[in-house]
Amino acid sequence: MSAKRAEGRRYAIEAEHLVKVYGGGRTRVEALKGVDLAVRPGDLWAIMGPSGSGKTTLLTILGLVTEPTEGHLLIDGEDIYGGRQPDLARLRREKIGFIFQSPNLIPFLNAKENVLLPLSLAGVRGRPADERAAELLDYLEVAERAELYPNQLSGGEQQRIAIARALANNPKIILADEPTASLDTDRALSVMHLLRRVSTENGTAVLFVTHDDRLIGEVDRMIQLVDGRIASSASHHVRSDTGSAAEGATLSEFCWRECPAAGGCCTTSSRSAPLPQSS
Amino acid sequence: MNLAIRDVSYKRFKFFSSTIGVSLLIMVVVAIGGIVRGIISDSSTIIETTGADLWVVQAYGAHPQGGTLGQFVEISRIPLRVYRAIEAMPGVAQASPLATAWQHVQTMPRPSPLMKFMYMNALINTATMVKPGWMALPQNQRFIVIGYQPGKIGGPPVIAAGRGIEASHYEIVADVSTGFEVGQILRLGNFDYTVVGLTRNMVGFTADPVVYATLLDAQNILFQLEPNLLRNERSYVAQRFTNLAATQPRLVAPLAEEAAKTVENTLYINAIAVKLLPGVSAKEVADRITRWQHLQVYTAPEQVNIQLMGSNRLILLQLNLFRVILVLIAGVVIGMIIYTFTLDKLHEIAMLKLLGAQGRVIYQMILQEALFMGIVGTLVGGALELLIEPYFPRRVIATYGDIAQMVAAMTVVATLASVLAVRRAMRVDPRSVLGTG
Repeated sequence: MSAKRAEGRRYAIEAEHLVKVYGGGRTRVEALKGVDLAVRPGDLWAIMGPSGSGKTTLLTILGLVTEPTEGHLLIDGEDIYGGRQPDLARLRREKIGFIFQSPNLIPFLNAKENVLLPLSLAGVRGRPADERAAELLDYLEVAERAELYPNQLSGGEQQRIAIARALANNPKIILADEPTASLDTDRALSVMHLLRRVSTENGTAVLFVTHDDRLIGEVDRMIQLVDGRIASSASHHVRSDTGSAAEGATLSEFCWRECPAAGGCCTTSSRSAPLPQSS
Repeated sequence: MNLAIRDVSYKRFKFFSSTIGVSLLIMVVVAIGGIVRGIISDSSTIIETTGADLWVVQAYGAHPQGGTLGQFVEISRIPLRVYRAIEAMPGVAQASPLATAWQHVQTMPRPSPLMKFMYMNALINTATMVKPGWMALPQNQRFIVIGYQPGKIGGPPVIAAGRGIEASHYEIVADVSTGFEVGQILRLGNFDYTVVGLTRNMVGFTADPVVYATLLDAQNILFQLEPNLLRNERSYVAQRFTNLAATQPRLVAPLAEEAAKTVENTLYINAIAVKLLPGVSAKEVADRITRWQHLQVYTAPEQVNIQLMGSNRLILLQLNLFRVILVLIAGVVIGMIIYTFTLDKLHEIAMLKLLGAQGRVIYQMILQEALFMGIVGTLVGGALELLIEPYFPRRVIATYGDIAQMVAAMTVVATLASVLAVRRAMRVDPRSVLGTG
């Protein structure tokens, strides 16, 4: 695995043949059936698929809260399940930021304290922590709301605080679970632009689960999960070359428009397909 | 960042209203401790303030017990003259004859509204058990009369108002809790007595206040018969000598007179308080008194113990058991409150776990909240108890030490009470924050 480890450092996430099986016997459910991923730092990926397709299972595996039944997972070059018992809480604290459909701010902490929370959990306290929180609140343009509690903030402000919290420990990866589902189009695009900015400026790999077709034009790559497999994977990096926008396009329209040649950047296989990577 | 403080601060109304509930429970626990301490203090006050090393009371010949348990618990009657013999013994500095009697007068001051309420409450609670009216507001004041020889031990330890007893008759010094006033005249036994002074904190083990009189007066109050009955008794005793009139007429009168003295009231006392010279062995003197005077002797600690364990043992055990039960109830209440608070924030706990919080961070938050509730509840409860203490009808003595003990006990109880909530929190799955799909 050492060669793979060295290779893995090029990627924020490298997953190979991830399988997740729940239950056993007649209640056995195979939620993931061999998913491969390789996400570079600075990439912005969307994971789409119908309910029950395994999106959340994939997200929880990548978020180190669910252990895969089979497969290898490297986060920032660290083979998570390859050696001795991993300290998953530490890895989550240090390497992963989470954003959710609802902001999920801690209600008894004010905006600034919510941002300070991951820093405090990681042992960063005092002035460095305060400065980092102030910097992030300023970056996300909610500095003046720092002392307010979540119930005193608007939905958009709460989502910005949640993003600031996800960024607090300067994570290698941000995993987002339908971060725009509860927002109107303008706010949804605003959040996407923010995530894009984070991924570009910080080199953070951002993966988010979404059902929102409005976001297709904003991502580097989109993978479609169906029945636990990657049914298709589409790279959108050509967008920057063509300058075309894909707002409002469905995945198939996107693939058809951007990759008219079969087998190009849109694929319909899972294990047999090459690892989806951004270039 | 202390999550427990933030959480408590955010939910301060809910948290503090729950803590007040715990405080009231703790207040009762501390009050019961104070009642126990009050009973113990009441049981030892007279013995300790008298300052006697030995208490001499009536013995029972070959009775395996050896003698009575003393004048405050049982009937004890010993001849007055014995105290002189004891006083003459080597090592004895002073022997003070004492007479004690429970008395009452119908001069109860008007009860306060609080007292009325408490009596009504007691009446309602026991109405089904006893005949109506038994618990009517009391119209009399009960007290213990202690007769002593002025200048010897056994008198009032302090004079809070007025003066001490100076005349040999018809003067008394009363504890302030009797409600008597200096100058007040009371009818005790067959005579009127004037309250010439007040003392304080002098009550018996039944919490009845003490009234001091001279030994002669106390003997009168205790033993003197109703005057007509006394005349009859003298005649009756004298008649037994009439059969001597025929043979020895000159002896009849003096013998009858001497015999009549047996119905007098000054021949007996209830106990003798003995003060020893420094360095003298109490046991040796006690053995000597028992051997030569055929009396029962107790040391002061034994006398206190007799009153505590002989008369109040069961009530003390009952109160202590009740106190333990209440502490356990307080623990269960804290446990349930903290468990409910924890259920309210399972989502936040899952979120904390997802953000990489270690188990330690979660259980510290829950434990700190439980400890905060337990300790603040105890301090507030203790303070409330100290505030209401003076309004109890019987002496309640809660100390800061009691409250400190309760804080220590509640620290343990709150820690145990948080176990259920911690276990629940530890089972929270961080995946629950994420959706399904």
